[in-house]
Amino acid sequence: MTSKTNEKHKSFRLSLDAWAVIVAFALALATRLDIFKKVPW
Amino acid sequence: MATSLSLPRVQSANPVPGVLRLVPGLALLVAIGYAGKVLERMVNTYTKTRHLTFPNIEYVLWAILIGLAISNILTIPKIFHAGIATYEFWLKIGIVLLGSRFVLGDVLKLGGVSLGLVVVEISLSLLLMTWLGRVFKLRPKLTTLLAVGSSICGVSAIIAAKGAIAADDEDSTFAIAAILALGALALFTFPVIGHSLHMNDTTYGLWAGLGVDNTAEATAAGALYSDSAGKLAALAKTTRNATIGFVVLAYALYWAKRGQASTVTNKAAFLWNKFPKFVLGFLGISLLVTFHTFSKDQVTALANLSRWAFLLTFAGVGLRTNFREMSKQGLRPFIVGALGEVLIAVLTLGLVLGAHRIWGI
Repeated sequence: MTSKTNEKHKSFRLSLDAWAVIVAFALALATRLDIFKKVPW
Repeated sequence: MATSLSLPRVQSANPVPGVLRLVPGLALLVAIGYAGKVLERMVNTYTKTRHLTFPNIEYVLWAILIGLAISNILTIPKIFHAGIATYEFWLKIGIVLLGSRFVLGDVLKLGGVSLGLVVVEISLSLLLMTWLGRVFKLRPKLTTLLAVGSSICGVSAIIAAKGAIAADDEDSTFAIAAILALGALALFTFPVIGHSLHMNDTTYGLWAGLGVDNTAEATAAGALYSDSAGKLAALAKTTRNATIGFVVLAYALYWAKRGQASTVTNKAAFLWNKFPKFVLGFLGISLLVTFHTFSKDQVTALANLSRWAFLLTFAGVGLRTNFREMSKQGLRPFIVGALGEVLIAVLTLGLVLGAHRIWGI
């Protein structure tokens, strides 16, 4: 990969914060669908 | 966080695929968290059945203690490092999901109170740390890093500021070492002080969120007091984190003016870049709960998911804290940090007790 392609590739990488928000919302959606209903917390 | 204290990030040269490399460390975090829960239950049952007087040690403390014992007695094999380093990721997920425990009105009310206190705390802390740095003749950029780390957001703020003010690795390692060591101390001293002053959950939680530097340690120091205090500590700390961009921008402009850092061309982009995005996730979940998107049972499940994410974080905090490594980092930055932290703890304690009297929080 050239440095320009590298730069472009890098700009599409999500930050840790963004990943955390995505995973948390995925968990929230799963909760909304009652997937965790029977989990013995 | 590539310092001598933190666990190394995943190296791209590693032949094992990305996600698989996280499995051993993640399994260790889950095992420690679960062991914490089991130990809490076992000790409670044992002391109750034998009518023994023994303080209730919460699973939070067990998880931290087990992590501390492992990292300080044993040498953690490299295979676990990448997974353990994910504790910061779980912390952020825990904070986003914690939004389920606040309706938006609470966030605005408590966040507003927190923000007022945060502005006072940050201003006084920055002045105090800068003054201490000069008195102890620390290098100016090390002083800046310590000031940013102790006033806002611990390690993340130091890393954000390091790039912005072009500080060298040694200075940031010193600053991170001091902040982490003091965070570890705060974990054990804050709850003791809180109990001896008979603080209520709200004032104690706000105090932990304002006075303890690193987000993981601040949340743990709150959770060690009570579940409700942990919730408040995370909210106050998140408010503090949200200001990171403004303070780092101010320092970046200061050092750029002195010709010792590159100039900031787009201030809005700089602020957005440094803004902790998980704060928006927290507000988003809180908004969904406010508009009754989730049933009562689902809100309880979200709160439990948040607690589990925090539990993995607390296990990681214990595993990351290595006292031997910390003692190698030099005494002067630690003394400046410790003096500053004690004064900031007293100052923030005065602030929350004052707010308690004025607003009855």
